[in-house]
Amino acid sequence: MEKEYIHIILADDDEDDRLFFTDAFEELKINTKVNTFNDGVELMDYLNHDDAILPNVLFLDLNMPKKNGIECLHEIKQNEKFNDIAIAIFSTSSSEEHIEETFVSGANIYIKKPSDFATLKKVLSDVVTINWQYHTSGLNKDNFLLRL
Amino acid sequence: MKLNTFYKSPVFLKSIFVVSIFAIFFISAITFKHINLLNNSSKWVNHSYDVNLELERLFSYLKDSETGQRGFLITKDSTFLEPYIHAKKNIDHSFALVKSYTKDNPAQEENLRKLEFYISKRQNYLSLSLHLSLKKPLSDKTLKEKLIIGKETMDSVRSQINQMILFEKKTLKARELRYKDTIKVTPVFIYITLLITLLLISVSYIRITKDLDKMQLANNRLTVLNESSNLAEIVGSFGSWQLNLDTKEVVFSDNVYQLLGCKPQSFIANRENFIKFVHPEDLSFFEGEPTDRIENDNLAPYTYRIIRKDNQLRYFRNTGRIVINRSDNKILIGTTSDVTEEVLASLSLEQQNIELEASNKELLAFNYVASHDLQEPLRKIQTFVSRLSDKEYQNLTDNGKDYMDRINSSVERMRILIDDLLQYSRATKTEKAFETINLNDLLENAKFDLAQSIEEKKAVIHSETLPTMTVIPFQIQQLFVNLIGNSLKYSKENVAPEIKISFERVTAQDEDLIPKNTKDKFSKITFEDNGIGFEQEYAEKIFILFNRLHNKNEYVGTGIGLAICKKIVENHKGFIFAKGEPNEGAVFTIYLSENC
Repeated sequence: MEKEYIHIILADDDEDDRLFFTDAFEELKINTKVNTFNDGVELMDYLNHDDAILPNVLFLDLNMPKKNGIECLHEIKQNEKFNDIAIAIFSTSSSEEHIEETFVSGANIYIKKPSDFATLKKVLSDVVTINWQYHTSGLNKDNFLLRL
Repeated sequence: MKLNTFYKSPVFLKSIFVVSIFAIFFISAITFKHINLLNNSSKWVNHSYDVNLELERLFSYLKDSETGQRGFLITKDSTFLEPYIHAKKNIDHSFALVKSYTKDNPAQEENLRKLEFYISKRQNYLSLSLHLSLKKPLSDKTLKEKLIIGKETMDSVRSQINQMILFEKKTLKARELRYKDTIKVTPVFIYITLLITLLLISVSYIRITKDLDKMQLANNRLTVLNESSNLAEIVGSFGSWQLNLDTKEVVFSDNVYQLLGCKPQSFIANRENFIKFVHPEDLSFFEGEPTDRIENDNLAPYTYRIIRKDNQLRYFRNTGRIVINRSDNKILIGTTSDVTEEVLASLSLEQQNIELEASNKELLAFNYVASHDLQEPLRKIQTFVSRLSDKEYQNLTDNGKDYMDRINSSVERMRILIDDLLQYSRATKTEKAFETINLNDLLENAKFDLAQSIEEKKAVIHSETLPTMTVIPFQIQQLFVNLIGNSLKYSKENVAPEIKISFERVTAQDEDLIPKNTKDKFSKITFEDNGIGFEQEYAEKIFILFNRLHNKNEYVGTGIGLAICKKIVENHKGFIFAKGEPNEGAVFTIYLSENC
């Protein structure tokens, strides 16, 4: 009955960012279902629940209270159940260490949060429409960071 | 060469001594023999005289007896017979004497036998004629006959005696000759021996004098050396010591005592007495045998505290090594230095270093966190502004639109400033990931980053082939971006920017700009443009953080870009220099060390 949609989850402690995120998807003409969580603990509680509907793409903010993005990334990568989830790091920072660490830990793409709404929409649309299989097989450090 | 070594060896003096002793013995033996000879010869002279005298005497007794006999024969007076009888006795005595003198000479004995025969013959005639005349008076004729016979025998006796005297004289002469011969040769011999001995002694004297001079010289040098080493110990505040590992004997130099605040040699030099000064917490350094701390004949240096006699706390450092002396004893020689100043200085330096490092880290962290965390609200302002512009712009009055634009440009400026600061703090961070990489690739990346700007300005970039080097790739790329970006930004209006990038491999010696004390080889990369240039007096100022030559209305910028360049070049042990001429262009020269 329901149309094919892309299930998207964002974990970010910043209310404004969550608002931009959901607004952007509302304006985009892509059939998506967006869930947001306020921190890493909430996210992991949801994912670990037996009845959870696992997302196609998970956007992870790095700097979060209680459990930060890196910790979530490690937990997700340790559990085979989550193997099919594409993980996009979604952070204000674009420091070398963060990029390096998340790449090594198995994230699929690194997005620096854009500073205007039009760019944000473009980035999110690009990311959710990526052919993940294709992207992941040719993944390297150079194309890990999404260049705008 | 061999002779020379012998002359210098101690055996030489000993041999000279032995030879001289033998020579002196030889001379005394010869002299003794000679005196003996002299003694003998004088005895022989006396002997010859005795013989001759006795012969003369014998002859005179014979004459006496003849005279007596003649007197008696002529006068018949018996008083004349007295000397005759007397002489007869004397003759016998005298003859016996001569006989005893000559008994060791066969030739004289033969002569003596003849003489005896003549004498007895003569005596016979004498006694015969006397006998005859006592019986009856002798006729003149017989008397004459007898007298003639008597005279003839007497002549024979005389000639025999003369012959004997002559013989004795001859013998004496022969002896004298022989003695003279000996006496002529021996002095020459003795003289030569003496001369040789004197020569040998002179040579050894010279040798001894030379040795003495040398010894004196060595002694002087030793005294000076000793003095200077004492002085050096005082100036360098260290003392020296020796520990005989076999006999456990210990020697401390004067300064060891002085370092402990004691008078030189004021206590017995041994380990126990020294350990009394060691700080109780550092006694572990002196536990066990001294040999425990020796590795490959070297005493590994160790630092410990001591409490001086005046209760001052000082830091000492011991070091030493093993030597083997002539008696095959293992001796540990070492020095004890007072390193208090050094230790205190290094302690305070260490402390300062820790503080400095901490404050530096704090500053970096602050810089990073500040610029990083500032991005977050700024990004949101920008996003909200962009949403406002998109959705509500047409609802604003003209004034409102103007305010909106101004907010936008201010926020954009702030974003650039924060980005640059973040880059600067990244360039300053201590962790550096060096990689060997082709700089041409980094230059291409930089051009790609600036592609939009290059296209807009229709800039032309000529570049020589750059080398492959060990660098921090993202920083060098940043450096290229900043330098090319700088040239693009400060280009002349209506003139297409032209940037020439050249490369050369140089050493510090070849370049006037870089300090001569480095022996490094450098890659010299030059960026030359045809932009607006600058006054040369600002050439150094432009690399200082936040320093700008232009108003922000003329050229946008934060004054951070070139400061980042300088930081990056310094991270690569290099140098950056700028040369400018207004309206002509600018040249940026960077030197990157090849030994990063």
